[in-house]
Amino acid sequence: MIVAKIMYINIKYPIMITKETIDSFINKIPPAPKALKETLLHLNTGDLIKAANAAKEDKALSSYLKILVNKPIYGFKNEVSEVSQIFGILGVSRSRQAVYNYMMTLLSPSKWVLFKLNRVVFYNLQADLSMNWQKILTHLDIDDSDILSSISLLPASIIVSEALFCEKKKDVELLRSVNQIDLNTILQRLCGVDLFDICQQIAQKWEMPQKISDILQAASGLKPSEDEMTNRLGKWMHLLLFYTLSQSKYIQAELNDFIDFQIDYVSDIYEEFSNLMEIT
Amino acid sequence: MRAVLKDGIGFFTPQGFLDGSSGNSFLSIDDIEATIAQNANMILVSLKKVIFFNRNGLDSFVKMFQKVRSANHCTVGFCDYDTKKYNAIINFYQDDLSFSLFKTQDIAMLFSANYKNQNKNILLYNEDKSQRAAMAIELHDNGHNPIVAQSLNEFNEKSNAENAYDIIITDTYLGQMGQKVATRVTGNAIIYTVSSFLDAEIGNTFNIAYHNNSLNVGFRLFIFDTYKVISMNVHALNFFSKLSSAGAEYNATICFVGMSFDKTPKEFKETLEDSGIMFFNQMDDILQNKELLEELGASSASNVKDKRAINKTTVTELPNFIDATVATIEMMTNSKAIKESANVSKMEIGSKDGKIASSIGFYGDMDGMIVLIFPIGIAKKACELLIGEETNDTELVLDTLAELVNIVGGKVKTLLADEKISVNITLPRTYPDIDSLLEIVQDKKGVQVDLSFNNDKFIFFLTR
Repeated sequence: MIVAKIMYINIKYPIMITKETIDSFINKIPPAPKALKETLLHLNTGDLIKAANAAKEDKALSSYLKILVNKPIYGFKNEVSEVSQIFGILGVSRSRQAVYNYMMTLLSPSKWVLFKLNRVVFYNLQADLSMNWQKILTHLDIDDSDILSSISLLPASIIVSEALFCEKKKDVELLRSVNQIDLNTILQRLCGVDLFDICQQIAQKWEMPQKISDILQAASGLKPSEDEMTNRLGKWMHLLLFYTLSQSKYIQAELNDFIDFQIDYVSDIYEEFSNLMEIT
Repeated sequence: MRAVLKDGIGFFTPQGFLDGSSGNSFLSIDDIEATIAQNANMILVSLKKVIFFNRNGLDSFVKMFQKVRSANHCTVGFCDYDTKKYNAIINFYQDDLSFSLFKTQDIAMLFSANYKNQNKNILLYNEDKSQRAAMAIELHDNGHNPIVAQSLNEFNEKSNAENAYDIIITDTYLGQMGQKVATRVTGNAIIYTVSSFLDAEIGNTFNIAYHNNSLNVGFRLFIFDTYKVISMNVHALNFFSKLSSAGAEYNATICFVGMSFDKTPKEFKETLEDSGIMFFNQMDDILQNKELLEELGASSASNVKDKRAINKTTVTELPNFIDATVATIEMMTNSKAIKESANVSKMEIGSKDGKIASSIGFYGDMDGMIVLIFPIGIAKKACELLIGEETNDTELVLDTLAELVNIVGGKVKTLLADEKISVNITLPRTYPDIDSLLEIVQDKKGVQVDLSFNNDKFIFFLTR
């Protein structure tokens, strides 16, 4: 009786994560929609009116821009509802950053499993990062549209983690209960690529400027750039990420330890950062 | 936030900035309780990845520490900081420091009764004389060799000597230490640490279910480290007498080490000896005497009670056990498992060469033991994810294998809980060779499933 029962056990288990899983994820990323491409094209030439007209063609983009800029952190007293008005207020660089932020939302899942996130919290995260990144660049006296937009790619690391690990949540939790290991390291050890490499592939697929990927790789805290400026920006972005992920709402979303905070990497800019952010 | 559990210590590792608004979000009482339920006797918050903290941020942890300490009697505090952070904490709390501070996780482990690597040469210094003494006593009780520097000059002088010490302790503070009955496994013996006054409370603090299941999975020697026991009353006497009598059915031996009868009636010793308990002055009198260890039954598992048959309940849940195991090994090796055969029989291993094994017991609504036999290649591969690199260090592989089996046990627990079956798991055991495993399981009947990972044979065995 017992033997008969055992013979019916059928083993069909998915393997953890492989290179194929990652390739499949990358392949499934749709190309940037036409209206979005046109919007970016006009923003790149500095033509805000044409950019706004192109953006209006994409209802989701228009709606996103409206939600984003009306978040309290943007500090507008009155509601801003027209795309042309939004672009006019933000200017070329920040409009471009906002459009890139929207591109990231196209990748985000409708329902989050690994992280306790939802659309509102994710948009807040994008807004928090964007506004503080602008503050940092102003402090560093940097006026560069690509660098301002680079922060938009950072949340892609969260989206990729969700996509790759959501079906393995319990396994990841068990693994992390016996060993202090972050998602980036698990991925690196399993497949030889890390979250930031995948983000770079996303950036390439969406034809984002190379500078954006370079800063993001440095912001991993694990791959310092040989270019001094890129490396410096990587440090600020890494510290900004953990400053942001230390907020109660993101800790509760279980984002605080999805990657390792590299304290040593940012130690030389910490004082300057804490003065800028008025941390007491 | 979840803790990483290591040698009886639950480590929580928040990252970034710690202030009054974020502190409560990092950790909840439920997180701590869940860690204590897994037999943690020390709860520490690591500050390794915290770049900024203020008093309010620490306060949210300290309040939880106080609640947990009074409810569970375990050691609580912070670890992994530099001198600047240490001074800041001392400055924040000054005369109100009720928790402990350990400069590193390695230092904290020295003070955990579950820590298995003893005999460390340790140089320690603290400007407070009573702290120096307290640390030296704790370290000595835990089987280490502490050398106390009485002044900063002496410390600087001694710490410059190359390779003289395994670990140097500074910037460490002992708050109230835990009173839980801590457990650690040394070889095939289980060591329980008891302290202070032994009374009726021992019946509550001693995990009898854990003890019984350790008997079931083959442990035969139980040593009570009683160096720190001040006295024992008649309720505790009865408890230990009964424990010893119950263990006799399994040929188990209970030993007391370091028990002083200065404040305990001398006739108690005779009563305990009559019930089969043996007394030793030093831990090394047992652990360093291999003949005695064997005689006391530490590596013998043969007795009638062990030969319990695998039952229908266990077999019904077999897919869960195999799921948990295979999914874990697949996850760790990133390779696919193929089932080759499944039988109910005594264990059949074939060639014993190049294999290591591990086991973990479970108990509660159902009980039993999972045994996993790995070709050393798979074991190394499976451990690579945790270690981060290839290794030929068998001891490291065995230690990591224990973590892996813990993951399997945790997964079994979760899968069974989904079916409303509640179980707890024992500490994992590892076996450096097949002969040492067979001493425990060779007469047991169970379900053996032969699996293949990338053509390497792997055996799963479920028994009771």
